[in-house]
Amino acid sequence: MKRYLIGRIGQALLVLWGAYTVTYLILYLLPGDTLSIMLSASGMEADGLSAEDLAKARAYYGLDQGLWQQYADLLWRALHGDLGHSLSLNRPVTALLAERLPQTLALAGLAIVLSLLGGIGLGYLTAYLQWRPLKTALSRLPSLGFSVPVFWMGLLLIQVFAFGLGWFPATGSNGFDSLVLPAVTLAIPSAAVYAQVLQRGFQGVWQEPYIVTAFAKGLSRAQVQARHGLRNAALPILTLVGLQVGNTVSGAVLVETIFSRNGVGRLAQEAVLRQDIPVVLAIVSVSAAAFVVINLLVDLLYPYLDPRISHCPKVS
Amino acid sequence: MTHRLSLKHLLASCTLAMAVAGCSPQAETDAGQTLNIAFWGDNTTLVSVDPFQVYWLEHRVLLRNVVESLTDQDPLTGKIIPWLAQSWTVSDDALSYTFTLRQDVTFSNGERFDAAAVKTAFDSNKAFAGELPATFGATYLAGYDHAEVLDPFTVRLVLSRPNAGFLQATSTTNLGILAPASYALSAQQRSLGQIIGSGPFVLEHYTPEVGAKLRKRPDYAWPSANVANRGAAHLEVVNISYTPEESVRNGLFLQGKTDILWPRNPFSEVDLKLLQSKGASIQSRSLPGPALNLYPNTRNGRVLADRQVRLALQKAIDRSSYAHTVYNAEFPVVSGVYDVTTPYFKAQGDKLAYDPRGAERLLEDAGWHTGSDGYRYKDGKRLSLRYNLSPAESAGDVLVQDQLRKVGIDLKLNVLTRAEWVAGNASGNYDLTSTYMTRADPIILQTILDPRAANSATLATNTYEPQTLEAAKALFDRGITATSDAQRAEAYGQLQDLLLDQAAAFPLYERVWQAATAPRVQGFRWTAEGFALLNDIQVKQP
Repeated sequence: MKRYLIGRIGQALLVLWGAYTVTYLILYLLPGDTLSIMLSASGMEADGLSAEDLAKARAYYGLDQGLWQQYADLLWRALHGDLGHSLSLNRPVTALLAERLPQTLALAGLAIVLSLLGGIGLGYLTAYLQWRPLKTALSRLPSLGFSVPVFWMGLLLIQVFAFGLGWFPATGSNGFDSLVLPAVTLAIPSAAVYAQVLQRGFQGVWQEPYIVTAFAKGLSRAQVQARHGLRNAALPILTLVGLQVGNTVSGAVLVETIFSRNGVGRLAQEAVLRQDIPVVLAIVSVSAAAFVVINLLVDLLYPYLDPRISHCPKVS
Repeated sequence: MTHRLSLKHLLASCTLAMAVAGCSPQAETDAGQTLNIAFWGDNTTLVSVDPFQVYWLEHRVLLRNVVESLTDQDPLTGKIIPWLAQSWTVSDDALSYTFTLRQDVTFSNGERFDAAAVKTAFDSNKAFAGELPATFGATYLAGYDHAEVLDPFTVRLVLSRPNAGFLQATSTTNLGILAPASYALSAQQRSLGQIIGSGPFVLEHYTPEVGAKLRKRPDYAWPSANVANRGAAHLEVVNISYTPEESVRNGLFLQGKTDILWPRNPFSEVDLKLLQSKGASIQSRSLPGPALNLYPNTRNGRVLADRQVRLALQKAIDRSSYAHTVYNAEFPVVSGVYDVTTPYFKAQGDKLAYDPRGAERLLEDAGWHTGSDGYRYKDGKRLSLRYNLSPAESAGDVLVQDQLRKVGIDLKLNVLTRAEWVAGNASGNYDLTSTYMTRADPIILQTILDPRAANSATLATNTYEPQTLEAAKALFDRGITATSDAQRAEAYGQLQDLLLDQAAAFPLYERVWQAATAPRVQGFRWTAEGFALLNDIQVKQP
């Protein structure tokens, strides 16, 4: 087990390093260099300046190093906890993340909780119901939930619950009230996936011999589903939760824009557009780290939830 | 003519309509003296409210109420009028400007406004421009050499080379005077909101992408003649918020949660009708500076090197249907290279008339003949133009594409990211491109079209054929070294003629800035540069 753990942590570090390097190279390969974007932002373009002025501007923004030198410099400092300085926001990236990350974590956390409640609830209900028309209707719902575009759902929720009913604020990131609509928006596609997977899971599980045995012991349908069905049918959801962390970061880009929230998703999108390399690298590293850690936890949890799975070689 | 709306616009209009359906009459009683302004998204590329660096229009609105300038500009006549300076004289060679300052002005931190403070401000700006020559304010400061403090309230600003726009520059937010304490801070600190001015409001905080809060300064008493209210502002607090999503921003206004809805782009007709039906007043002002022009690439043997083709392109654009279908029936039709609010603007509507038959004739004469697909060909090559735009095409771009198709020109809308767009301009990989700047002085065109001063020297060079470039440079020089109004009017008049006669610029529409104000907002007035002085505004029950 210890050996397995060390191996997995080594793998995780490799993934982090890979994500960091690939992101850096992609940003570097994008057309238009950071300097000309920065100059253009301040109302000037690089070809309008003399070579001397250009060198001054390059030094001012700290862009006077080569590709690999800059990479090594950034990586070395990142390893020491210094994620660098944002070029256009004029602030250390760590301070920026400290300010923005809680917003996105709260949003993602609530979204994951809501999607699990919604998804498992719907899947469970669909499996329990026996009245055919309703069962069919409910089993079609996940496809709908997954097909509706996130931005449209967000706008719809704002119209109904913020402008129409006035229950929640439409924009901002102040308090729990302002978190509800964005979290619901972000939760819907994931909930749809969970519900779909769980419905399929139950379809398979109902055919298993141990279900027949459970019925034979005289248990009711509700008892069989709760004690024997759910635990077996729900296993794939654990894997999906790990994958959803990635979806929340990409979903946050849209949701945070629609709801004018000041989180990491929006920061990521803007940083990419302005080629603010230190900021993008930091966000990619943090989300890759979250992704890797959660998936590692999921893998470690499996043996406890399902004794048939083991990470240690079996002695036979 | 087919007027294609993008999906996004359609969606925005639909949701807006839904917002109204779900709307209930507002019962605002405690609106008090707080004004809420909603702008579109914040500038995320250059995050700064440092007056000298800022080009972002919305930030200049904010700064106009926090930071004051030596002079102000009359929005009706464009004349420069006293503000922090009571009077001034300009030497005959137009190289030294002597300002007599008001003696009753203090900064919000208690520091006295005097000649030394003016010198500190101008010298600090010059030093910053030396460090970062690309900064926007540098063009306003062009030629500034040093300041002499003649007595505590008289200061002489000395230029090393003529700059006919300098007096106007002293009226702008870009050369606003901050308290000496602000210049002791770093540019980064100023950028993030540590701005101390002498204006009627104090910048309490600025949170990038979220908003800003201004609080009234109770002891304020030195406005320029542009303001009716001679004392402290009526408003206690001004909240500014940045809402990138259009339908959400509009919805907040219709809900009564915003008093002034102030997006960057003019309202569409659907939105306009809706806002007016809710009792909102629409405030409009053409932003001084160039109109929204397309600039051609006439170099390296590209299609638009042929003046006949450029003139045909000019005739093939229907500007009145642009103004009336993309915007609304009252929207002004562009009638020159500059917007009408720019000093020395020359109306040239006759040169911009829609004449598709004339365009076809010119193209025939230039050897471009219609092929079987309706587009024109010459030597087997299609008459195709690459129009670089960023970040997305507008309904207007699609409309122009359609208008040009009718005379056989294939306009390719080449949608790029900002970075690619900048690279495209620098490398000359385009046939048409577009950019704008706002300043109430014709000199601003030099930052676009004079290769010696332009942001993009490539764009500025490519706009003209070689012989035209020399003529344009000479006119820019005459304009900036002129010492009398008549000389400036003549130089800039000829320049505007040159640009249209040579088809070196293709005006599309007047850059009108619109704000919707709720019925309870009274006293909204534009400044010369298209900003607003909030100390005249009152929030009352209508």
